[in-house]
Amino acid sequence: MDSLVTSNIRQRPLRSAISVIGVALGVALVMLFTGLARGMSNDLQRRSSNVRGEIIFTRKGSIQMTSSSTNLSVKYAERLKQIEGVESVTPVIRYIYQSGSIGFDQVDGVEWNDYSRMNNLQIVDGRGPEKTDEVILDETKAKRNHPVGSTIKIFGDKIYHVVGIYAPESGARAKLTLASLQETLEAPDKCTYMLVKTKASIDPVTVARRIDQELPGNNVQLTRDVFTSVENAIPSLGIFLRILVGLAAIISALVVMLAMHTTITERTREIGILKAMGASRAYIVGAIEREALLISAMGLVVGFAIAGAGGFMIHKMTSLIFEYGWLWALTAAAIGLLGGAIGAFYPAMRAANLDPVAALSYE
Amino acid sequence: MAASLATAKKVAILKAEKLEKTYRIGKLDVPALRGVSLEVEAGEFVAIMGPSGCGKSTMLHLLGGLLTPTNGRIIIDGEDLTAASDAKRTDIRRRKIGFVFQRFNLFPTLTADGNLRLAERIHGGNGSGDPKRRREVLGLLRLEDKMHHRPLELSGGEQQRVALARAVVTQPALVLADEPTGNLDSENSAVVLNMFQELNRRFNQTIIMITHNPEAAAACSRIIQMRDGHIVQS
Repeated sequence: MDSLVTSNIRQRPLRSAISVIGVALGVALVMLFTGLARGMSNDLQRRSSNVRGEIIFTRKGSIQMTSSSTNLSVKYAERLKQIEGVESVTPVIRYIYQSGSIGFDQVDGVEWNDYSRMNNLQIVDGRGPEKTDEVILDETKAKRNHPVGSTIKIFGDKIYHVVGIYAPESGARAKLTLASLQETLEAPDKCTYMLVKTKASIDPVTVARRIDQELPGNNVQLTRDVFTSVENAIPSLGIFLRILVGLAAIISALVVMLAMHTTITERTREIGILKAMGASRAYIVGAIEREALLISAMGLVVGFAIAGAGGFMIHKMTSLIFEYGWLWALTAAAIGLLGGAIGAFYPAMRAANLDPVAALSYE
Repeated sequence: MAASLATAKKVAILKAEKLEKTYRIGKLDVPALRGVSLEVEAGEFVAIMGPSGCGKSTMLHLLGGLLTPTNGRIIIDGEDLTAASDAKRTDIRRRKIGFVFQRFNLFPTLTADGNLRLAERIHGGNGSGDPKRRREVLGLLRLEDKMHHRPLELSGGEQQRVALARAVVTQPALVLADEPTGNLDSENSAVVLNMFQELNRRFNQTIIMITHNPEAAAACSRIIQMRDGHIVQS
């Protein structure tokens, strides 16, 4: 193929490469950010869906996205069990702490036997935690070099022995004994929330209402409403993602515009020749737009490759999870192509409107 | 038969009437052409000579529709160039005019073949052109073995032959050449001029050539002398 468009791209490899990378960065940014939001959200939802207790009883404001409080007396467990419709109750400490990889991590303190029975958790390897320096992990965390018998640091430098691996993943990936976390947090007889399992014959909403009446002033929520998606937990995340997509589009358009503007200046004389040969404005605009679209298409391929490889590497190095969706991939593709086409439009129009005689004498 | 041939030969492919062109430079009006009239018949090979600044290049640009005259009229192959819109002038140029420049003006990123195909694509759409015409032109200009070379891989003479091939491959009514031998040594100049003559003879190609070189002008069938924006000898 020896067309003006492809030959120009081949003959100006540095300029072409910079343009391709510019578009690719825009596409990769969109893919990585949306992939991360989607991956983390889906991961949270997967783990939340395996929490079988239907009701969470807690103090108001005890569980936030990035923090939790251990201020609920475990004595509430006995009072909750007496309420009609409640089958079982187990106290949980949800502790969210700062961690190097993603900024924060979480660990649950549970009475393993009660908790695993309520949530149908099975031990895949080893046993449940019994001592204060023992921990059981889900399979995902165990795969990251934490087999049974190994040790793991939680809260920065505190060493715990991995005594078991459980499935399916449910709540926090690491679970200590309730006593262990109470001791560490210096919160004897306290927990963050009570997980309540209702009898199958009674609607959990009815039971929740009864709990609220019996124990007013506390927070009674359905589990499905508490462990919601990241998008719902952070309402501004959607806006942030849309702003990011817009910025990526602007970056792509600006890079292509700058590249094509430079190209037009470099090729002023050639545009004069085209005009002398009778090339119409539409032909000149079309040639420049085709070049921009080809560059953008190459940018898309490189951008998707960067997103794929980048997501994989980040996942390997941290616990961040990337899940790419077709809709965002199509959006990124549209951004790359439209950004390129729009970015090239002004330089293309400028080229089409050049005075042929002046262009021919351009040095 | 002889009479009809004679009649056919006298068809004017170009008529320029009272052409005037004035450039505005700052607050000054600088006249470049001051009422030039010219008629060129089909198959003529015309040289336009004159000192620098006499208006030769302006004349060529006007005839090629790259500039519009301040006054006057230009008819190319029956179509009024001066009454046409910018888009229409471009279209007339695409269909009826081929340009050859002093600096060759080939597309450096394209091979010789790519340059020809680009001209065919602009002229006719898909770039396949007329294979017979293409073969004839390439044979005449002895370019068959140079088609896959880029301009930088060709000598000046070869580049100008490619430029000439590009100008005529789409069978324009008129070829306008602006100092086509100005960048060539005498040997290559002779070769290129010879090829202009061959094209003129073999294809009855109408050519208007600007030149400073009397030897180049001598290769033409008519010489027009210009001075100070006027034709002083035709």
